[in-house]
Amino acid sequence: MIFLLPHLVLFCAFMLFPVVGSFLLSFTQWDLIGDIEWVGSSHYVALLNDAVFVEVFWNTIYFTVVSVPIGICLSLVLAVALNQKIRGIKFYRVAYFLPVISSMVAVAVIWQWIYNPEYGLFNFLLSVVGIDGPNWLSSETWAMPAIILTSIWKGIGFNMLIFLAGLQGIPDNYYEAADLDGASMVQKFLHVTLPLLAPTTFFVTIMSVINSFQVFDTVYLMTGGGPGRSSSVIVHYLYQNAFEYFKMGYASAMAYVLFFLVFIFTIIQFWRHKKKSVY
Amino acid sequence: MRRPIVMFLVMVLCMSLLAGCLNRSTEQTAMNHDPNDDKVTLTFMGWEASPLETESVQRGLDNFMQDHPHIDVVYTPVPNEQYHSKLLTMMAGSTAPDVFFIGSEQYRDFQSRDVLMNLTELFGQDFSLDDFIPSSQDIMTIDDQIYGISSTTVSPVLFYNKDIFDAADVPYPPHDPQDAWTWAEFVDVAQQLTFTEGSQTEQYGVYGLEAFYMHVGLILSNGGQVWDDQKNIVLNSPASQDVLTAIKALREEHGVSPEARYLENVGMNAAQMLQTGKIAMMVDGSWALQELAQMGFPVGVAPLPKFGGQATTHGQAHLNAAWSETEHPEEAWALIKYLSSESYQLDLIREGLWMPNRTNMYTQEWIDQWHNPDVHPEGFVAMTSFFKDSKPFPFALNDKAAINDIITEELDKFFYGQQSVEDTLQAIEQRGQAELGK
Repeated sequence: MIFLLPHLVLFCAFMLFPVVGSFLLSFTQWDLIGDIEWVGSSHYVALLNDAVFVEVFWNTIYFTVVSVPIGICLSLVLAVALNQKIRGIKFYRVAYFLPVISSMVAVAVIWQWIYNPEYGLFNFLLSVVGIDGPNWLSSETWAMPAIILTSIWKGIGFNMLIFLAGLQGIPDNYYEAADLDGASMVQKFLHVTLPLLAPTTFFVTIMSVINSFQVFDTVYLMTGGGPGRSSSVIVHYLYQNAFEYFKMGYASAMAYVLFFLVFIFTIIQFWRHKKKSVY
Repeated sequence: MRRPIVMFLVMVLCMSLLAGCLNRSTEQTAMNHDPNDDKVTLTFMGWEASPLETESVQRGLDNFMQDHPHIDVVYTPVPNEQYHSKLLTMMAGSTAPDVFFIGSEQYRDFQSRDVLMNLTELFGQDFSLDDFIPSSQDIMTIDDQIYGISSTTVSPVLFYNKDIFDAADVPYPPHDPQDAWTWAEFVDVAQQLTFTEGSQTEQYGVYGLEAFYMHVGLILSNGGQVWDDQKNIVLNSPASQDVLTAIKALREEHGVSPEARYLENVGMNAAQMLQTGKIAMMVDGSWALQELAQMGFPVGVAPLPKFGGQATTHGQAHLNAAWSETEHPEEAWALIKYLSSESYQLDLIREGLWMPNRTNMYTQEWIDQWHNPDVHPEGFVAMTSFFKDSKPFPFALNDKAAINDIITEELDKFFYGQQSVEDTLQAIEQRGQAELGK
């Protein structure tokens, strides 16, 4: 118990107190300096009528719905590919994991460069195959997909690593048995690998969904939420309200809406997982 | 049985440690004023517009401390992006610096929270408001009171690469604001200086007008306004419509301008594009002259083209202010007075980063002191009235930061999306008024 204490004190000071505090703040109006004024649930009502919040809410859903499935599929494919016994396998694993530990600021700067409509690498590659690329980051249509692509690239190594661990936990004898039954590569993947990987997939999905709902740095650094509001997300709008307009209460209310959103999504996934997981 | 006691003891220990930390900070502030040597430590916070500015601040502070041996100034530069969040958070935590820069856009917002020391009386003893150029006067004064002193002034201007003009045999833009190009003349030159090869544009005529900061001068020049006397937002006018439509046409119709947004962050900044001949003209803040003058190509500066009426730009710059709860108001004032003095500006004006915020510094006598032929291009003196007569930057007259974001956001939808100019201006008016009513 004593050894837990330092951690407990820090936990209370930096987690419990702020979490409870911001919940209470979400019912008040406060600009950091002046008096705290109780306003009841009016922030929550205001959120529903705030067109900008509705827009960033849907942007967040858009980001999550697109980036999570694609990110998971790609990282699974990569994990399977990197689970072979080939030469230099460690090098490839490191290479794919590198973006995860790179600084987001550096990544954002490089990708802004890649997306440059005039001199960027991306539009150059597209022009090779005859496509006239858009102005990625300054187009209302393309800013979000561009951010999603960068996020997937940045995060793919982490999910890959977890999948890799999951794959290595699958005993070889299942594959040997499948071989004896004359199963093809695809059949083995669909009927052995995927089902046995279900707990890992579940974990990766939950983590990805939670992370996607909280996306901020990529947006903040690459587009600042623009053009217009087209790439702004809940946490970005929350940040603006809290630290640019100093509306702490309103921002806290937003944080709790986000919290319940994540909560509900996670519950749904747990419930689905429970229903079908038998392995 | 013994466990809870031990735990309790440890808890007490932790608490007293925490309490010790809290106490120490109050003791430290108390210690700032040590009766023995009577030395006062002032904390001072600013941001870095350029390494040169930081150097110059540090040099200035050294001079100041020599003249005021009983004051010790500790300077903390903070990145511009998070500057104001940090400042307000420090105020909330009672650890704010005594003296600090405050951005002109945040000045009214902060003042409305009652965190800035009222300088009106002290200002009256040492300065005269009439000595400042009109835009600085308007920005500094809030209901006849003064809470921050204008440090300098900077304005959007038209930069150009003389080599490109020479190669195309096109005359340079006029320097006297009275003779500034009309919009039609400006578009004509931009077209002459745009070269395409196949579908690629090798050289663009002009860059940079799509940001509100850069083009609002044209709206003012066309007789448009952002605020009326009652502080309502009145940007929605035919004058604004004409200007916005004309700027978008530069890129979409005439093809003489690349997109303004985001390009700056991408490898090559605007200054480098001007240097390497990717663009022939660039609209940017006058502060850019400091960097451009060192880039080894013949740079020129001219007033913005006029749109309708008179060639117009706007002026603003950070203000020097003190915290309302500072324990050393007298010393804080001494520092602000020094930072706001004419002599302190001189160096930074000579380097091309700043422009004078005092009317008398635009007289020949003073111009001789600050004009630097290595930095200020030929004809620069002829355009100085452009800075002196600048209008106050509209965002600096507004105390709701959210409205500035609304304007930027809606203009984005116009410049980079499908939203029509009418819908854009209407949305700005509606959303802006709603925010004002909050």
